[in-house]
Amino acid sequence: MVSEKVTVKNPSGLHARPASILAHAAGQCKSEVMIVYGERKLQAKSILNIMSAAIKSGSEIEIQCSGDTEAEDLKTLVELIESGLGE
Amino acid sequence: MKEVYVAKTASRGIAVAGVLKYQEPDYTPQSGNVTDEQIETEKEKFVKAREAVKAVLADLASQNEIFAAHLEILDDFTLQDGICSKIEGEHKNVQAALHDTIEELAAIFAMMDDDYMRERAADIRDIGKRLMAELKGISLPDLGSLSREAIVVARDLYPSDTVKINPEFVKGIITEEGGVTSHVSIIAKSMNIPTLVGVGSLLEGLNEDAVICMDAERGMIIIDPDEATLADYQARKESYEKERLRLQSLRNTPAVTKDGKRISLCANVGNLEDIQKALEMNIDGIGLFRSEFLYMENTHFPTEEEQFQVYSKAAALCPKELTIRTLDIGGDKELSYFEFDKEENPFLGWRAIRISLDMKDMFKQQLRAILRASDFGHVRIMFPMIISIEELRAAREAVEECKAELKAEGKAYDEGIELGMMIETPASVLLADEFAREADFFSIGTNDLTQYLLAIDRGNKKLADKYDYFHPAVLRAISQVIEAGHREGIKVGMCGEMAGDYRAVKMLLEMGLDEFSMSAGSIDYVREQICS
Repeated sequence: MVSEKVTVKNPSGLHARPASILAHAAGQCKSEVMIVYGERKLQAKSILNIMSAAIKSGSEIEIQCSGDTEAEDLKTLVELIESGLGE
Repeated sequence: MKEVYVAKTASRGIAVAGVLKYQEPDYTPQSGNVTDEQIETEKEKFVKAREAVKAVLADLASQNEIFAAHLEILDDFTLQDGICSKIEGEHKNVQAALHDTIEELAAIFAMMDDDYMRERAADIRDIGKRLMAELKGISLPDLGSLSREAIVVARDLYPSDTVKINPEFVKGIITEEGGVTSHVSIIAKSMNIPTLVGVGSLLEGLNEDAVICMDAERGMIIIDPDEATLADYQARKESYEKERLRLQSLRNTPAVTKDGKRISLCANVGNLEDIQKALEMNIDGIGLFRSEFLYMENTHFPTEEEQFQVYSKAAALCPKELTIRTLDIGGDKELSYFEFDKEENPFLGWRAIRISLDMKDMFKQQLRAILRASDFGHVRIMFPMIISIEELRAAREAVEECKAELKAEGKAYDEGIELGMMIETPASVLLADEFAREADFFSIGTNDLTQYLLAIDRGNKKLADKYDYFHPAVLRAISQVIEAGHREGIKVGMCGEMAGDYRAVKMLLEMGLDEFSMSAGSIDYVREQICS
C-alpha cells in the first residue's frame, strides 16, 4: 500500500462535479483506492461516499492505493487533485 | 368538441396540434415481497433499468454537466449494493428496494450541515425517479425529448422545464396555473410560442391523443375540434403567419415617431443566444440583460472569471448599447447551492440589491466582471429594486472601488460607464426627482412596480384580472417618473412587460418614454406602433 497527502484546491470543496471526476478516475484504477479524511475512511470509487464526506476547500486528504499498479495509480490521482479536478 | 375561454394571454399566436400532457407520474413502489426464486430476476430488473437510464443521461450529460455527476451516482456501487441487499435480505421487490435505498441515501445528504450537500438530496431523488419510471415502464415527461409537434398542457412549468423547450416541436403551451408575467410566459414570448396561462383545471379528463386548437390572443382553447373548426383555425394560423412576416419586412425601418422623435427599441435577454436572436430584429440595443441565469443554472456562485467570459462575449456580440442588470434573485427564483431563510413574503424580502450590498464580495465579483467586459463594447450597469438614495450611493461606491482595483491591476474598463437604476418600487417613484440627480438613467420595471403599487401578488390566480399595468395609479407613476427623469436630463426607459404591449405604446410615447425594451417576439409589433 502506498499513500500520499494532498490538499483539496477546489473553491467549493469536493462537490458533485469534482467528486464525480475523482470517483471516475479512481474507478479506472486497477488498485483499491481509499481516501482518508480526518477520522473517516472513504471508498474513492463511490461518488456518494466522497460527496457524503463534504470535503471542504483547503482540506488535506490522504490517498491510499493497494494493488499491482498502486504506484502509478497514486501518482495519477494525486496529480489530478492538485490540478483542481477539472475546475 | 369542447371550448374553453381564458382571460390571460401570455404570448400570442395560433396553434393547432396534438397534446402532450406534461405531468408527474405516480412513483409509489409496487407492494408485495419476492420469493427466493425471484431474487435474481429482481436484481436483473435493476441492472436493466440502470443501463437504460445511463443511456439517456449520457446524452444529456453532453449538454449539462450536472448529468455527468448523475451518471457517476448511477454507477456507484453503494447504490447497487443497497438495492441488492434489500432484495436478498428482506425479500423486497425491486421497486420497493429502490425506493427505500434512495430515501436512505437522500436522507444522509439531507441531514448534512453543508447547504450545497443538502441540495444533493434532490439530485439523488431525481435519479430515483428516473430509475423508478424505467422499472414501471412509464415515460418521464421531458420537453427536451419531444420529437413531434405538440401543444404542451401542464399544471405549471418550472424555469428549468422551459429551458428545454424546442420551438420546432413545442407549438403551444397551456398551463393551469401561473400569471402572465411569470417566468414561463417570458420565456415563451421570447420563443414566439402561443401561450395561455392560469386556465384552471384542464388536465383532468384530457385525452392523451386529443387535438387542440388554440388562439392565444383571443384566449380560446378548443379540444378535439370538429372539421369546420379545424379548417378555420388552420386558415387563421396561416394568415397570422403572413401578418408576422409582413411585420418582419418592416424591420429595417428605424423606430422614429411621426413627430420625428427617435425611440430606442431594445430587447430583454437572458443569455447569449437570446442576444443573437434579438439582433436579427434590428434593435437599438439590449435594454435588459438578466444576469440571473449565471447564478441559477449553476452549482456554485459564478466566479468573476466565469461571469467575465459571458459578459465580454455579450458586449462583443452586441454592437449597440448593452445594459446589464446586477443580480436580481429572491422571490420566485431559487439557488441550488445557497439556502435562503424562509420568508413569509419573499417579494418583500431579502432580494436583489439587498443581497448584493450585504454580500459585498460577491457583488464586487459581478461588478468587476461587468467593468472588464465594458472594454469590449458599449455597456451600462443597472441596479434592481432600489428604494433609497443610500442604496444607490452604496452601489455606485462599490463600482468606484472596483474601478480603482482594476486600474491598479492594469486591467481595462470603460471609465465613462453609465450607472442607472430600475424604478420598480413605490419609494423610487415618489423620490424619482432625487434619484434622477444621481442615477445616469432610469428603467421602469412595470412587472414588480405594478405588483407593489397595487399590492397584488403577480402570481396569485384569484387576483389575476386585477393585476393590470393600465391601472391609473401605475400610469400616473410612470408619467411622474418620466417627467422627473427628463427634468434632470436623463433617459427614461422601460423593460417591464408593458413595454412590449402594443396597446400601451401610443400612451407611453405621449408620456415621453425614451426607450422600450421587450422580449424579441414583440419588437416587430411595437415598432409598427411607434412608426405609425
